[in-house]
Amino acid sequence: MLKSLFTFITASLLLVGTAGAAETVKLALIDPLTGPMAGAGQPAFEHLKFEAKRINANGGINGKDLEIVGLDNKVNPQESLVQLQKAIDDGVQFVTQGNGSSVASALIGAVEKHNQRNPGDEVLYLNYAAVDPSFTNERCSYWHFRFDANADMKMNALTTYIANNEDIKKVYLINQDYSFGHAVSKAAREMLKKKRPDIEIVGNDFHPLAKVKDFTPYVSKIQSSGADAVISGNWGQDITLLVKAAAEFGLDAPFYTYYGASAGVVTQLGDKGVDRIYQINEYYGDFEDPEMAKRQVEMYKETGWDFYYLRLSTMLDMLKKAADKAGSTDPVEIAKAMEGMTLETTNGEVLMRAEDHQIQLPMFMSVMKDDMEYGAEGTDYNFHKVARIEREDVTLPTTCRMRRPK
Amino acid sequence: MSQDISAAMQRSKSRPSLRGLVPWVVFAAVLLLLPFVFQGNSTAFTLLNVIGINIVFALSYNMLLGQGGMLSFGHAVFFGLGSYAAMHAMIAIDDASYAGEGFWAHVPVVGMPVIGMIAGGLVALVLGWPFCRRAGTAFAMITLGLGEMVAAAGQMFPSLFGGEAGIYGNRMVGPQWFGLELAQSADVYWFMAFWTFLAVFAMWAFTRTPLGRMSNAVRDNPDRLQFIGYQPRNIRFMIFIASGSFGGLAGGMAAVNYEIITPEALGLIPSGLALLMAAVGGLGVFYGPIVGAIVVTLMNSMLSDYTDASILYVGLVFLSIVMFAPRGLGGGIEQVRVAWRDGDLGRRLPGWLTGTLAVGLIIVGMVVLVEMMFQATHGDDEFAQVLGMEFDAAALWGWLAAAVLVALGVVIKRATNKLREDQA
Repeated sequence: MLKSLFTFITASLLLVGTAGAAETVKLALIDPLTGPMAGAGQPAFEHLKFEAKRINANGGINGKDLEIVGLDNKVNPQESLVQLQKAIDDGVQFVTQGNGSSVASALIGAVEKHNQRNPGDEVLYLNYAAVDPSFTNERCSYWHFRFDANADMKMNALTTYIANNEDIKKVYLINQDYSFGHAVSKAAREMLKKKRPDIEIVGNDFHPLAKVKDFTPYVSKIQSSGADAVISGNWGQDITLLVKAAAEFGLDAPFYTYYGASAGVVTQLGDKGVDRIYQINEYYGDFEDPEMAKRQVEMYKETGWDFYYLRLSTMLDMLKKAADKAGSTDPVEIAKAMEGMTLETTNGEVLMRAEDHQIQLPMFMSVMKDDMEYGAEGTDYNFHKVARIEREDVTLPTTCRMRRPK
Repeated sequence: MSQDISAAMQRSKSRPSLRGLVPWVVFAAVLLLLPFVFQGNSTAFTLLNVIGINIVFALSYNMLLGQGGMLSFGHAVFFGLGSYAAMHAMIAIDDASYAGEGFWAHVPVVGMPVIGMIAGGLVALVLGWPFCRRAGTAFAMITLGLGEMVAAAGQMFPSLFGGEAGIYGNRMVGPQWFGLELAQSADVYWFMAFWTFLAVFAMWAFTRTPLGRMSNAVRDNPDRLQFIGYQPRNIRFMIFIASGSFGGLAGGMAAVNYEIITPEALGLIPSGLALLMAAVGGLGVFYGPIVGAIVVTLMNSMLSDYTDASILYVGLVFLSIVMFAPRGLGGGIEQVRVAWRDGDLGRRLPGWLTGTLAVGLIIVGMVVLVEMMFQATHGDDEFAQVLGMEFDAAALWGWLAAAVLVALGVVIKRATNKLREDQA
């Protein structure tokens, strides 16, 4: 046993040193790929691999094939830095990550320092889901590009939708008790006050993160407050259990959420979610565009995951466009080309704003419905579009003062 | 009997001689040689740096569990708070060296582990007294609560802990010592090697002090200790402080290595990691946790490249060590060493070799089984190819082969046990 252990150790130490050949352009996904959080990383991994095939069939990234490398970080910031170093040694020049602002914070710092300390060996960090607004404001970095709307932009779109809905008079806020939940609550209160001063905030609850098994006490508080609508930034089991408890309690107020359609929620909620759970996102589950519908059907058949992360497709398309425009796959050239770049997507034009590297895009409010043409997770449920919020109504100013390399 | 005692006394007398120095010379030589083996391979250096941190962390944990008999589920509190203190100090150095004046402008980043150590020790000093009245279950439960409480507080005070995104600094600030720029992981290695060596030596020296000896006594028989006039609680408290200090030192090393610290570092998962490393390496031998830290760090960071079942394998390793080799990997090494010293190796080696063979067969069989199950449910898994196993989950022979391997292993294990009983 000791001998096999020894060979394993030496093999693993030696294996990692072999640098990759430069024929392909490598994009590393650093996200949870094993263990209890794998459900958050695997769909993105499969989506990237699925879309990379399409990109490669269309000529690749400036003529080179795009290769997706998956690296498991167990949602741990420290472990992510080890994986980042592994990726860099493996010849990876583009890194993407989405789950956990703690990991994103570590990666922004590490990539910034790596590029400073190793000129000529730069790496770009493409963020697809870490939504802390500070990453494109006070902490903005030239080497970081965000392809997801940040938490404040999502709230901007969400509150615009609520402001246009005259029936809503009383709003209840329920969020997870940590920095993200508090940020969501604060943004909701400020924006509602500005857009619809007549709306009354009848409750502002924080519950422990991922610890509550029975939300009934919270739901009964919401019921007795007489709220017309609930806003929640909850994710994971906290959103599933919350909505489930509301359905069982008979609470009719709809839930306006950030992550109501993330993997697993539809299957677990079933009928209880119909007409009750709304999501603000850059996409929805109708797939009116036949090209998108085709991808949804094919991807589900091939990988068992839904075509959910439209922004990952946008990210790869923009990477390709930037590489083709720059005539190079060098991260420095691509970063330059990507600043201020626009891209035509199925939802219209999106823009990578040069000032803060935050994507500007239209957003959609959708609600869970039964008997949808393209069901999510093999069911008949999916999220049906109820409103489109234009780019101008989503966008927010930035405080970023970008330090650009010479 | 009396001969045994005099022989043992002679051995203990000859300890301070040159022979006692050998392991330290070897340790230092290995630390000095490693950079030449892995020259130009920054991933290897990154891993070595993490291993260094984990070695100190696991050893500091073993001061509590292995030497003091206190099972703690909250050791990451000291690691994390030490790391936070060091990070705040690093930020202060950054600010001060910008202005070019003030106390912090003269503090080198190389000294951050000292800050971590002081912080860890202070936290243990403040929190420790009520905890140390009892060992065993009560202590385990209290530390579990402490860990959860501090981790929750970490999320609730963003000004101090930085919220979810944590706080971050830059290690390339302040005065440079020994020309160590700390830019690349290869530079950081020298920093790590220095502090790892120093901390390991200090913790070993601690076991030689009267307090270190007393900690074994309080583990083995606290009642008797009380009869001869020592307060078990005082001794536990002092071990707790020492262990917290070294945990904080590891945290200070981590602050320099990662340049970021987030509230997760205070929680139950890193505390569990310390327990895992110490138990895999062996609680009873001083260098056990070192072995454990190396093995567990590599498994954590490398195994998931090859298999989606990596966490399952880590769990299986832990389980099988607790069940079949409670003395851990280090305990195994120590057994061989003692047998060799006593000239007993020739007699006992056959039994050990067949035992190793049996365990090896069982492991291979289990791995084949797990990989085939994975292949059947999830499609291809790279780990199987790495081990040179190409098989078809649909074919019956593969499953049969796995069963045969495991059965063979069990048979050999039984035969070995019988052989050992006959010998004894």
